[in-house]
Amino acid sequence: MAKRNRAYNSYEMAQAQFDHVAEILELDQGTREFLREPMREYSFLIPVRMDDGTSRVFRGFRVQHNDARGPSKGGIRFHPHETMDTVRALATWMTWKCAVVDIPLGGGKGGVICDPHHLSAREQEQICRGWVRQIARNVGPLQDVPAPDVMTTPQHMLWMLDELEAIRGEKLPGFITGKPVGMGGSLGRKEATGYGVVFTIREALKALGIRPEDTIASVQGFGNVSQYTIELYHKLGGKVICVSSWNQKEQKSYAFKKAGGVNLEELWAITDRFGEIDKGKAAAAGYEVLPGDKWLEQEVDILMPGALENQINADNVDRISSRVKIVAEGANGPTSPEADAVLHKRGIFMIPDFLCNAGGVTCSYFEQVQSNMNYFWDRDEVLNKLDGKMTAAFHAVHEVAMSRKLYMRDAAYVIAVDRVARACKDRGWV
Amino acid sequence: MTDSGQELDKILEGLLERSKELSCLYQVGEILRAGDVPWAKKLERILEVIPPGWQHPEVCEARLEFGGQAFQTAGFVDAPWVMEEAILIRGEEVGSLQVVYTEERMSADEGPFLLEERKLLGTIAQQVGFHLTHEELSNAYETWKSAVQSFETGEGKKWQVIVDFLRRADPQLLQRISRRMLNHLRWKGVEGLDSIPGFQRSLDHGTASSDQNQPLARQVFMDLPVPTDLVFRTASEHCADEEILFHIHSWINREKLSFLINTLEWQESSLGDITSALGRFQALQMAEKELPHSLLNVLKTALLRRFFTDQIDYVNIAKRYVSLDDFHEVAAHLIHPPNSHGKLGGKSAGIFLARKIVERMQGEHEALRGIRVPRTWYMASDGVLAFVRHNGLEDVYDRKYLELEQVRHQYPYVIQAFKTSAFPPELLNGLSLVLEKLGDRPLIVRSSSLLEDRTGSAFSGKYKSLFLANQGTKEERLAALLDAVAEVYASIFGPDPIEYRAERNLLDVHEEMGIMIQEVVGTRVGQYFLPAFSGVAFSNNEFRWSPRIKREDGLVRLVLGLGTRAVDRVSDDYPVLLAPGQPRLRVNATPEEVLRYSPKKVDLINLETRSFETVLVSDLLKEHGNELPLIRRMVSLVEHDEIRRPSGLLEDLSRKDAVVTFEGLVQDTPFLAQMATLLKVLRETMGMPVDIEFASDGSHLYLLQCRPQSYTEGSAPATIPRDLPRNRVLFTAHRYVSNGQIPEITHVVWVDPEEYGNLPELSDLKGVGKAVGRLNKLLPKRRFILMGPGRWGSRGDIRLGVSVTYSDINNTALLVEIAHRTGKYVPDLSFGTHFFQDLVEARIRYLPLFPGEPETFLNEPFFHKAENLLPELLPEFSHLAHVVKVVEIPREAEGRILRVLMNAEMDEAVGLLADPGPHPELPGPSAGPSGRIVAPEPPPEEHWQWRIRMAEKLASRMDPERFGVREIWVFGSSQNGTAGPGSDIDLLLHFVGTEDQKTSLLAWLDGWSLSLAETNYLRTGIPSDGLLDTRLLSDQDLENRTGYSVKIGAATDPARRLRMGGAEGGD
Repeated sequence: MAKRNRAYNSYEMAQAQFDHVAEILELDQGTREFLREPMREYSFLIPVRMDDGTSRVFRGFRVQHNDARGPSKGGIRFHPHETMDTVRALATWMTWKCAVVDIPLGGGKGGVICDPHHLSAREQEQICRGWVRQIARNVGPLQDVPAPDVMTTPQHMLWMLDELEAIRGEKLPGFITGKPVGMGGSLGRKEATGYGVVFTIREALKALGIRPEDTIASVQGFGNVSQYTIELYHKLGGKVICVSSWNQKEQKSYAFKKAGGVNLEELWAITDRFGEIDKGKAAAAGYEVLPGDKWLEQEVDILMPGALENQINADNVDRISSRVKIVAEGANGPTSPEADAVLHKRGIFMIPDFLCNAGGVTCSYFEQVQSNMNYFWDRDEVLNKLDGKMTAAFHAVHEVAMSRKLYMRDAAYVIAVDRVARACKDRGWV
Repeated sequence: MTDSGQELDKILEGLLERSKELSCLYQVGEILRAGDVPWAKKLERILEVIPPGWQHPEVCEARLEFGGQAFQTAGFVDAPWVMEEAILIRGEEVGSLQVVYTEERMSADEGPFLLEERKLLGTIAQQVGFHLTHEELSNAYETWKSAVQSFETGEGKKWQVIVDFLRRADPQLLQRISRRMLNHLRWKGVEGLDSIPGFQRSLDHGTASSDQNQPLARQVFMDLPVPTDLVFRTASEHCADEEILFHIHSWINREKLSFLINTLEWQESSLGDITSALGRFQALQMAEKELPHSLLNVLKTALLRRFFTDQIDYVNIAKRYVSLDDFHEVAAHLIHPPNSHGKLGGKSAGIFLARKIVERMQGEHEALRGIRVPRTWYMASDGVLAFVRHNGLEDVYDRKYLELEQVRHQYPYVIQAFKTSAFPPELLNGLSLVLEKLGDRPLIVRSSSLLEDRTGSAFSGKYKSLFLANQGTKEERLAALLDAVAEVYASIFGPDPIEYRAERNLLDVHEEMGIMIQEVVGTRVGQYFLPAFSGVAFSNNEFRWSPRIKREDGLVRLVLGLGTRAVDRVSDDYPVLLAPGQPRLRVNATPEEVLRYSPKKVDLINLETRSFETVLVSDLLKEHGNELPLIRRMVSLVEHDEIRRPSGLLEDLSRKDAVVTFEGLVQDTPFLAQMATLLKVLRETMGMPVDIEFASDGSHLYLLQCRPQSYTEGSAPATIPRDLPRNRVLFTAHRYVSNGQIPEITHVVWVDPEEYGNLPELSDLKGVGKAVGRLNKLLPKRRFILMGPGRWGSRGDIRLGVSVTYSDINNTALLVEIAHRTGKYVPDLSFGTHFFQDLVEARIRYLPLFPGEPETFLNEPFFHKAENLLPELLPEFSHLAHVVKVVEIPREAEGRILRVLMNAEMDEAVGLLADPGPHPELPGPSAGPSGRIVAPEPPPEEHWQWRIRMAEKLASRMDPERFGVREIWVFGSSQNGTAGPGSDIDLLLHFVGTEDQKTSLLAWLDGWSLSLAETNYLRTGIPSDGLLDTRLLSDQDLENRTGYSVKIGAATDPARRLRMGGAEGGD
């Protein structure tokens, strides 16, 4: 998943981050210059005949940051305030994200400056098809593979896929990911991120020499990621004793605690599609209803922030129990830099978001693979292959962290950049 | 034994009498029916059979007079024991029938006669009358037949045939028609009529239009018989035959309808009289096109006035679309107290007219075909008065003058008093009849007050509307209906409507309330009864979610089931919003948004529990997913990240994850096109934007309500100044901005969003609402604004916003809602229709702020730093001082005031700290070359503010010495802030000068009045002869507090003293 709502200087941030890692890796000047910026940037106009007969012109983008390791991969965003710099930054992060789990894809991102709120479905279809027409020669299953992102939907993806297939005169289901199951989508996508989180937790426990069944955990958020994290973690023998959930009506979150461990089936029955646990029913079912931030203060072995950014911050990091041994970042950016430094100092084992929630992008890769060979695996096969990928990725990062005495977050970046740099070198580009 | 024997005798006697009477009546019938017997003979025989029918035949004699002849029994003599009945032909007395006892007999019901004998005599006289009428008509028929024959053979002129016929059949009618013809000839300017007797000499037109201030000389109209032959001979010389025929025809019709015209014109006639006159008219089976246009207009106008309203705009429009027949239907569905002079009320008038328009315009607009209106019964507005009188509840009338707190406090008791009261028998019977007709279909009892729904005062939602399941035995159903009507009646005396009326100076208007009883549109699904979908629609879209949507594209708020969730605001649910003019532009773009903002609940009637219920859409679908009408067009299915339309009948909706989107309704049915046409046609025909309620039972669309959409008359967009220094700006807004400006705000009530959200106790949350309500009464009207988190007026979940009702905020100038973004979503705005319309009506502005969005700026530190007046103003709420802040702007901003400028076209608004005085961005009033005050642009002020300023100016220029004036006060609409664009400025002057001074004072005031009228005309386009309404008060007036002097120092709406200039201070 891409990061959203970045400030306008996100590209500079991405570059600074890279510079830091390049320093650690002692990359040569040429490689630094090559990886600091995207390899290719497309910016083009999409004229659309509107419903009222007038014509309007929309600006479209595609940025391919690096495809040394394989076809570019990244979402397409429809946003009225889209900027080229945001797209550059997001494309860069996609390169590292694919590299850290070692899937053979590069990084890309694209978008159109538009607000779907002000466009009819037909007009949106014209924008999608127009986008593909402008860039048909530079995208495709073996070049650059888009996916849904901010304000784009599987429907948009199908229109794009259909247009490219019409232009090329062939079926190319591997051109797009995020398709509905039955239309070239992959099974297991719902579970992928949450399961991926648990695969890394399992390996981390192994590395720390702790048996999962001896651990308890507390989870922030009860969305897709958290729900499947809890499911698989329970299967491993662990016990989640507390989970927080946003209450839309009251515009605040609550934490639901059951010392004997939460019952997932029970919670599912009282949770709406937005992951909101019904407060009253939970209390009736014997859950202790606490203020939302209490999830973080529980005496547990594992904390799993699973929904929002900035959940562990300078204000509350000191309230984390001394029993906590692992923080697994299921969400994007849940730990503020200040809190991160505290956790590092306290020696808590950090599984960084980058690595921890890479199950999603890995599953997208599997969807692309299945589409390309037009043969689709069953759910278990998808999830087994996911286990393999995540486990391998974890150990690669952990090994670097151990050997180079790096914090896990730094190690993940280092290994990602290193893999891309090596591919560029091997190809003789730099 | 003896007792019962006597009883038996009595009964037998009674029976004997009955049988005698019956045999008498039977014989009379036989005699009358006998053919070929001369009339005289028949009458003689009748007289013979009468005496045996009476109790004492031995002394009974009878006599009959008819057409100048008299018949009597042999022994007839005049005696004191007599009873008499008139014989009538078509209502006219033509003879009489008498019965006498020649000797005294024991006294009975009427002298010696029995009550039954009176009836018997009446019946015989009636029978004789009928027979004579029949006889006469058969004669007339013969004449008619021969006339028609001559008609057909071409002898004579057609009109002549009619005249000849009338001559024989109805000479009086012919006389009246002749007179009309004579007048018609004069009107045509035919010469030489003077010689005709009965001609009214042409009047001196000069005098009739004279401006002289003296009465016109009286001219004597002589009521001489008109020589018919002469008149028609003259007519045939000057008019075409067709013209004569046409006029005779329409005059005859007019004559026939005189009863209807008289009933309608006569102010005393009751609704009952009108209804029966209408019934008589219907029996005439007269086609509307046979009536002259002018007469038709007179009738329609009178009917509209008596049934609906005196409002001239309404009558003008409605008369074009209604026919006389339409009123039969109204009459047939009308419940009213005896001698009722009530009307049906605004809601009834609105739906009646809308329905007629829809019917009339179906030819031109195919989309309107098939739109229906549910069966509706009306209760006249004075039903409530009859109810109050019947139960001796008159005390309630005084309640509106109580303090609002008292009204609110006592209201629950009023409701109970009404509910335990009995209904007058006429209303009871009427309601019982409605239930007979409706059966056990659910129904809704709606208020339809006379003040409600009129342009300019939308009492929307102030009075109650109640749903009834209408199940069970007839008694149970009737009890429930009565209960509901009583409750709706009680709502007249509720605090909100009283507050609302007080604000609009409508308290003194006698409020009556009609009631509409409508069947609920819908179908039965399991234990539930509900429409497929319902909603409200507006001609003007005031909530445009895209710049591509124009105001005229309209707005539809659509929900599953009953429309209550679309009409009322609900804090935890959302209706689907659509713009009929832009059906493809949807509010929600992403699947997440569609899910978040789809209706989750549905209002319906549970027929088993007999109650109005709210259930989850998901539960309803689980239970009845495949039975609900149109359901496949109303929901979409959620699969993974995708939302798609149900693909076919194979999908079992009760087992799917479905979300209400109305996608199929929009894409596959003409619903939105129908809505667009309906809104357009209603707007065009009614000449104003409208607000309608509708529902569908799955096969037909029903119109439930129609009324004008309240709107401010063309408030101009404000110019937004650029490059303002940051420290002068309190806030900026960039979304959902409407047009206008609020020039001089002195106070801000700031409810801190964060502190409000952190309040731990529900009582404190509610306390904030109470504090706001109290401040609303304390702070200067329209000079303060309310700023707070989320939705003002949250009902269910008050954490979303401060819990207030309209009466708690009605004095604010602006309502600011601060919507902190949560993640990617902006909190729902409070665009509930009821509240909003009230705001528009009261010209209270509404502005949402979205802090956190790049362009939006909110100067929170200003409010944090500012001194809080709350503990000083309301010590009992001091504990909430950290949440509610009352900031006096001039004190905090070096004498500046807050000015809010809003521009809907640019979707921008700014609240800036500015120097008081004229608004530099707008040309203020300035002295023109003529010395008159000229304001070329719409003024930045409210009408009342301008008036106050002008009054102050006038006072400051007043020279007390020169004019002998001691003091000046201003009162009325200018002073209490309710002045409209055409209002007067009411002034009181304490005058102590001489007659000469008085003359020059009045001249001086007149000059002001004319100048101000001219200026006001330039400001508003409303002309007047003068804007000042001045009253001089003498010393005596003030001492005795007579006349308008009571306004000075009055408890409510007091007059305000103005600072006068003097010789030393004047300029």
